[in-house]
Amino acid sequence: MKKKHVSKAAILDAVITYVILIAVCVIFFFPVLWIIASSFSRSGSIYDIKGFFPSSFSMASYVKLFRDTAMYNYPNWLLNTLFVAVFSSLIGTVLVILTAFTISTFQFKSRRLLMKSALVLSMFPSFMGMTAVYLIMVNFNLINQLWSLILIYAAGAPMGYLVQKGYFDTISNTIYEAARIDGATNGMIFRKITLPLAKPMIVYTALTQFAWPWSDFILPKLLLKNKELWTVSVGLASLDETQFSRFAAGSVFISVPIVILYFSLSKFLVAGVSAGAVKE
Amino acid sequence: MRRIRRDFAVTACVCMIAGMLAGCGNSDSTPKDPDEIITLRILENDTAKSKGYLDELLNAFNEAHKEEGIVAVDANMDEYSNLAENGPYGYGPDVIYQANDKLMAYASDKHILPISPEDYECAEYIPEQAWDAFRLQVDGESYTCGIPVNIQEPMLFYRADKMPENWETEWDDDGNGVADFFENWNDLYAYSKYLRDTDPSANKDSQYGFMASFNNLYLNGEFIFSYGGYVFGKNADGTLNTEDIGFGKGNAATGLMALRQMAGLMNEGCIDDTITSTRYEKVADGTYFCTVSTPDTYTLFVEKLALQYEDSGMSKEEAQAKAEENLKMVELPVRLPADGDLSRDSSELADGDWVESVVMGGVNGYGISSYTKYKDACVEFVNFATSYDMIKTRQEMLGIAPTRSDVSAESGDQTSELIFQSLSENRIYLMPSVKEVDQIWTPSQTLLGDVAKDSFRANSGETEKYKTVEDMQTALDGVSKNIYDAIYTLAD
Amino acid sequence: MKKIRVYASSVVMGSGQLMQGQWIKGLLYLGCLAAFVTYLVTTGVTDIIGFFTLGTETADPWLGTKGDDSILMMLRGILAFFIIAAYGLLHAANIRDVKEGEEALAQGKKLPSFWKAFRTFTDRKFYVVALFVPIVGVLILNVLPIVFMILISFTNYGGDIVPPALVDWVGLDNYGKILTLTEIKGTFFRILGWNLVWAVLATFLNYFGGLGLALLLNKKCVKGKTFWRTFPILAYAIPGFITLLGFKFLFSYGGPINYYITMNGGTAVGFLDIDAGIKAKLIGLLVNTWCSVPTSMLLATGILSNMNTDLYDAASIDGAGRWKQFTKITLPFVVFSTTPVIITSFIGNFNNFGVFYFLRGGLYNDGYFLASDTDLLINWLYNLSIDNNYYGIGAAVSLVIFIITSVISLSVYVRSNAYRKEDSFR
Repeated sequence: MKKKHVSKAAILDAVITYVILIAVCVIFFFPVLWIIASSFSRSGSIYDIKGFFPSSFSMASYVKLFRDTAMYNYPNWLLNTLFVAVFSSLIGTVLVILTAFTISTFQFKSRRLLMKSALVLSMFPSFMGMTAVYLIMVNFNLINQLWSLILIYAAGAPMGYLVQKGYFDTISNTIYEAARIDGATNGMIFRKITLPLAKPMIVYTALTQFAWPWSDFILPKLLLKNKELWTVSVGLASLDETQFSRFAAGSVFISVPIVILYFSLSKFLVAGVSAGAVKE
Repeated sequence: MRRIRRDFAVTACVCMIAGMLAGCGNSDSTPKDPDEIITLRILENDTAKSKGYLDELLNAFNEAHKEEGIVAVDANMDEYSNLAENGPYGYGPDVIYQANDKLMAYASDKHILPISPEDYECAEYIPEQAWDAFRLQVDGESYTCGIPVNIQEPMLFYRADKMPENWETEWDDDGNGVADFFENWNDLYAYSKYLRDTDPSANKDSQYGFMASFNNLYLNGEFIFSYGGYVFGKNADGTLNTEDIGFGKGNAATGLMALRQMAGLMNEGCIDDTITSTRYEKVADGTYFCTVSTPDTYTLFVEKLALQYEDSGMSKEEAQAKAEENLKMVELPVRLPADGDLSRDSSELADGDWVESVVMGGVNGYGISSYTKYKDACVEFVNFATSYDMIKTRQEMLGIAPTRSDVSAESGDQTSELIFQSLSENRIYLMPSVKEVDQIWTPSQTLLGDVAKDSFRANSGETEKYKTVEDMQTALDGVSKNIYDAIYTLAD
Repeated sequence: MKKIRVYASSVVMGSGQLMQGQWIKGLLYLGCLAAFVTYLVTTGVTDIIGFFTLGTETADPWLGTKGDDSILMMLRGILAFFIIAAYGLLHAANIRDVKEGEEALAQGKKLPSFWKAFRTFTDRKFYVVALFVPIVGVLILNVLPIVFMILISFTNYGGDIVPPALVDWVGLDNYGKILTLTEIKGTFFRILGWNLVWAVLATFLNYFGGLGLALLLNKKCVKGKTFWRTFPILAYAIPGFITLLGFKFLFSYGGPINYYITMNGGTAVGFLDIDAGIKAKLIGLLVNTWCSVPTSMLLATGILSNMNTDLYDAASIDGAGRWKQFTKITLPFVVFSTTPVIITSFIGNFNNFGVFYFLRGGLYNDGYFLASDTDLLINWLYNLSIDNNYYGIGAAVSLVIFIITSVISLSVYVRSNAYRKEDSFR
């Protein structure tokens, strides 16, 4: 390839590429921009908006969001959401990694059965089981407890072990064999060898396990009766129709952590996702 | 040793689960200490909470009952949280404020306790029709399951300062001091049409007359009920017959032709919820001359109007005072044309050419959960909350139309009296107080939205679906059948 | 003589071990037995009886009489069966353990100390230890609800039969209704047809949308890849239901899209109206694509980065065009390595509740029983069981859906490259 000579076709190709890229970005960005813009709407309602954008801007909705907490205690909801998401993510990640590692590394009798069962189980329309989940929580006195959510998210996490398993499949068995010859137990192998190797995967897992409780709606709605205990999603959904810009402000605010996490961890993410999908 | 010891794990598992279960097996009932402070959990609606009325009520109650060890607190739950789901397991409120259809749906599964009206000081001031909304027939016996607080019907909201300046000369033909367009639908149509025709903006979108989201049965029921349609028929003994669904009965189809015609003077926002969500804003800024809503939303209109005045340079207090003065709430026009043609000049119509409008209404009230541990304290609380003073405060703070006749008589605000007069003259069709009513909303609203859309179909080149009364009749009968199917197909 | 300990343990768990002198282990087993018996006596037996009767005494909240709560009884019954099964496993393990001990003793070996045995166990049977918590969690919070739902489909729960009324077992009645009632049967098949079309189209669009975007970003001429990738990620960061409500507003009559249409002299379009038909379906597809492409783009980016670029160089030398490179090299590689992901995505789309619930909820079309023409089976299920309280029928329909999706995806999965390679496990 010679740098000097750039053919017409290549230029055309680049132009077309960029045109498509810009179009795609506009498509993705516009609705987001619209939500952001309406969160700054001065009147607080969506209907002074002509077309896409508010006629006048102010920070009022954000101030209200954090100051006016008598009806809608957003700061509290945010803390609840954070609590649930962090602990679900911690526990869930441990469980998923452990499950994936075990299923990938060990050959045992019921292994294939487990794998197939997990696939089949994940196909059940989940909200049909909600009545049962509710009753289980009633039975164990876990209604109105943030821990009940953490329990459910963490317990459900291992069902999505496939991506992580794919990653562990790529770690060669010879390392393990060598360690075993040196007398390492399986527990030690997992701690000393697998975990350090799986760092990108762990980050990826933790992020996905975090994102789900962070934005989930149905479960907290079902299990948290007390408004003080609500998570942000449930709270936002309860906002009155006239409070659109507060709704938008709340939405923008809970999206920020995900975006930040994504960018600070994006290297791991791509590595994680790719490894999980490829089975070689 | 070839085989390995195993199953420590399984051991632990069984221990753990057995422990958990044994533990929860007898966790059902812990006996209560008799000297304990009684805490009542009250579930009010969001408006009462956001306007500060709930705090007022709770403080007043707690102050008055300090000695008895009764404390009322905000249940702090979603206002529509399901009592049937929460109550039996002890997560529900003790006292609940709701509309009669919701409250009575709970009551029919016995989640709400029957009460005796004579326990309540307010009882004698509350008209019989309001009590009727909370009556339930079980095995031939009649029970009362709620205490009426306020009555709701769709009302017309408008800005007094946006009345046409010449209304007394131009829009009050009968000279009775009430504008004709608040008295009959033909004139409301005519005035809306006048506003539309004279809209100065290029896009013809700055000036509307009557505006409403037509996909809402509760707010627009007059187009069906005024013409002989009904939700459920009645048995000989006066109880509801939920097998007889009558949306297509009488001349309801004619009524819907009027609705279709009215929609033509609005914009497409009447097909979905757009107008319902914009109405506060747009009445305040004068885009809509008037709209339809329930009395409990009065404060929301005032709030938006006050903001509007503030923007024009008034102080907060001034703006609030002016908004309260100018935001008017009146009953919907009481006359609809019998032939369903709103475009005819009202002066051409003789008395016999009109039908009296029958709107849909509801009564909101308190119910006591069957799962409360302190029934007497609940009665005490409801008694307090329905006392003269509290209802008066509620009316002042929330703009509701109280069922207590002494409060409404004193306040000088005639809304309640008007509504009760309408109720006694059978001009309000109360939401049926049965569980089955849950299943009427979606099918009926689907149809209403579609009929509203029909007036825009020709414009966008689609074929109109409801050109004739016959088409409308078929559609209404279809809705009745769909509702019947929804209720009975799967029930044995 | 030796058998005695085995017999002892098969009757009283842990007694054989005690006789062998394994005190700690024996006591642990005994403790479990005690806990199990306590459980049975206090609640277990009642729960199992309750499972069959589903309650005999109707509660009357008005009189304050505490009756039976049928569905809670069913749940506790299932839990009891789970516990009995777990006990069974433990008991079998206990017998095996005693036998092994006997064999060792017969060969004159000394039995290992408890802690030594414990350590050996946690190492050699690492998978049991590691999978224990995940499996118990999944059993209680995923499997149990599913079993519960399946059992509900054999009861008359729903309609007028909701607590405090007592629920009864009705056998296959609900399935009979699905097959015989014309409204239900007709609606079921109409929705099923659309549901399949939807799942295929949506999976296709999401997958290839993501792949296309990833390929585009992978091109050498694209500078600032992180910048470009930001936009889809923003879309990904906003919680799904907020996005969907936002889109509903965008497409409503009062929304910006119609605003611009009418501004330019057009007539407003009812994108999501009752008679919107194909328009609403298309919008659903596009909105769904908008929500899902970011994830599949990430995925595809990762996979492409794993690809061996030598293949392309070789192909260019052979004079293969770009399209050919794509179909002959990229596509097979990507598709083969992501079959499980495609299956998961297909299932996710098949059961995609949110899109039409938020965009177009609260409409019933003519010719559909409690559903609209865009509703998927899962939305219909929701209407049936949550909105209209027909839990029994809803559960039966959900089981049918479950079987359909399981058969499709399991058969694809078992044939997939990823699974077959599992056969030659390491």
